[in-house]
Amino acid sequence: MNITSKTLAALVIVMIFGGIMVSSALGLWQTTTTKEPAKFTEGEFAGQANPADIRGSYTFGDIEKNFGISGMLLAKAFGVSEGEPDAFQVKGLEELYASSEFEIGTNSVRLFVAFYNGQPYDLSTDIYMPESAAELLLERNLDPERLAYLQAHTVPNLAAGSESALPPATAPEATPTPQTAPAAETPVTASTNMVKGKTTFGELLSWGVPQAAIEQIIGGPLPEPSITAKDYCTAKGLSFETIKTQLQAEVDKVKK
Amino acid sequence: MVTLFGKRIRIFRPRSIWLRKVVQAFFFVLVLAITINHTLAESGGGIPLLSSASVHAICPFGGVETLYQFLTVGTLVQKVHQSAFTLMAIGFALAILVGPAFCGWACPLGTVQEWVSEIGRKIFRRRFNHFVPEKLDNVLRYLRYGVLAWVLYMTATTGTLFFDAYDPYSAMFHLWSSEVAIGGLVVLGITLLLSLFVERPWCKYACPYGALLGLSNLFRIFGIHRNESTCKADGACSIMCPMNIKVDTKTVVRDHQCISCMECTSEAICPVAKTVMLSTSRKTPATSAK
Repeated sequence: MNITSKTLAALVIVMIFGGIMVSSALGLWQTTTTKEPAKFTEGEFAGQANPADIRGSYTFGDIEKNFGISGMLLAKAFGVSEGEPDAFQVKGLEELYASSEFEIGTNSVRLFVAFYNGQPYDLSTDIYMPESAAELLLERNLDPERLAYLQAHTVPNLAAGSESALPPATAPEATPTPQTAPAAETPVTASTNMVKGKTTFGELLSWGVPQAAIEQIIGGPLPEPSITAKDYCTAKGLSFETIKTQLQAEVDKVKK
Repeated sequence: MVTLFGKRIRIFRPRSIWLRKVVQAFFFVLVLAITINHTLAESGGGIPLLSSASVHAICPFGGVETLYQFLTVGTLVQKVHQSAFTLMAIGFALAILVGPAFCGWACPLGTVQEWVSEIGRKIFRRRFNHFVPEKLDNVLRYLRYGVLAWVLYMTATTGTLFFDAYDPYSAMFHLWSSEVAIGGLVVLGITLLLSLFVERPWCKYACPYGALLGLSNLFRIFGIHRNESTCKADGACSIMCPMNIKVDTKTVVRDHQCISCMECTSEAICPVAKTVMLSTSRKTPATSAK
C-alpha cells in the first residue's frame, strides 16, 4: 500500500486537527491553566491551596480567590500602582522590577502568600521581597526562622511608578542590597544552626541536641541519621512546621 | 502521464513536493497568528475567533517534558498545559504510522530553516549541505539524543521548563514578547546562520523532539522504500534528501534522521515512476508483478 504526498498532507492535517477536536470533545484540550493551584495533600494544611503552585499567569484576582489575600493588598505589597490590581498578572512583576539587582517575581509572590497565610514553604533557596511586602508581613506573626529569612531577603522597592503606592518609609534607594538580619535582633539568628527541610537527624545530633529531646519531639525512636526532618514528618504525617519549631528551640538551647 | 503513440510519457514532473511547502507555510502562519494573539490577549486585546494559546500550550515537546512530573506527582511542569499532551500523542501516532511527518510537514522551526536554506542553496549550489565532513557529521547526529536526555533530566530534577531558556522554537515565537529568553535567541540565531550552509541544522544535530520522533523510523508502518529492479542508481534521491540520507544504497530507509518529507520519492526527484515510494511493503507494484 502506497501513500502519495496528497494523502500524507491530508493525513497530517486530519490527524492534528481531528485529534484536537476529539480531545476538545473529551474536555482534554486545555491551553490555559485552571487557575486552581494544587492543594496540600497531608498535614495540618491538607486541602488548602499550596502557594508553591502559584503560576506566573495568575492574576492578583486569582490569588485572592484561592488564598483569600485581596488584590489591593498584593498590589500594595509589590508596588503595583497602575491599572486594576485584580487583573495584574504575577509574571508582570519581573518586568516591573527589571532594573532590580535581585529577582522579584513569581517566587516572591508565592513566598509572600505562604508567609501571610502561615503556610509551609521551602526556604532552601534565596527569594527576595520588596520592602513594602516585608512591612506587611512583619504585621503577621512570623516564627523566628521566617522573620530572620525575611530580614535577610528584603530589598528596597525599585519598581518604576510604584512610589505612589508605597508608604513614605519605603522610598527607593539608589543601590539595592539585601538587608542582612543583625545577629542580635532575633532569638533565632543568635544560632548559626537553622533547622530546615534538608536538616538531617545526624546534623541535629552533631549540633548537640540530645537524642532523648529529639525522640520526645518526634514522638518515636530516633530514625536513621541520614533521614531529613522534613522527610520523616512527611512519612509520619506530622506537621513539619510544628516539629521544626520545637527542634529549633532545642538547637537554640544548646547554643545558650 | 499521457499516452502518446502507445507509450506512457510523463509530460510534467515536479522536482519537489509543493504540497508540503503549502502545509508547512500553513502551520507556520497558524502558530505565528496564535502566539501573536496570545500577546494581544494578555494586554486585553486579541482576535476573538482565533486561539490565544501560548507557544508552550501548542508545542508537542512540552508533553514529553512534563511526562515525568505528571507520572510521579500528577501535575504538569509550569507553563505546560494539557493541550501539549494531546499534541504529543498526535505526534507519536503520526510517527508510528508515517514516521516523523510532524518534523517534515508541520514544525515551524523546520520550515524557517528550510526557507533560510533556500538562500544558502542559491549561494553555494552543489556545495550546500555538504560542508560537514561525513565522519564528523555521523557522530554529531547522535548529539540530539544527548540533548534529549539532558532536557528530560533537568526538567525532572528542577520541576521547571528548563529548556525554555535555550529553546529556539520558543524564542522564535516570543520575539515580540518580554518573555523571550536570551539563550533561546542565541541558539535561534546560530541555527538560522548555520541554515545557510546546512539543511535543517537544528533538526540534524540538536532537536530533542526530533530525536524522539526519529526513533519511529525503526518501526514505522509506512516507510520509504526503493525498488532496486527499476532504480537507475542515479543518486538523485540521495542528493535531494535534506537530511543527507543515502537513499540510493537502501531498499528500506530506516535512518533515524528521516523526516518523511518525500522529496526523494518518485513523486519528486526520482525520475522513474514507482521506484522510491512511501509504502507499507518493500515490494512495490513493479516488483510484485514479476
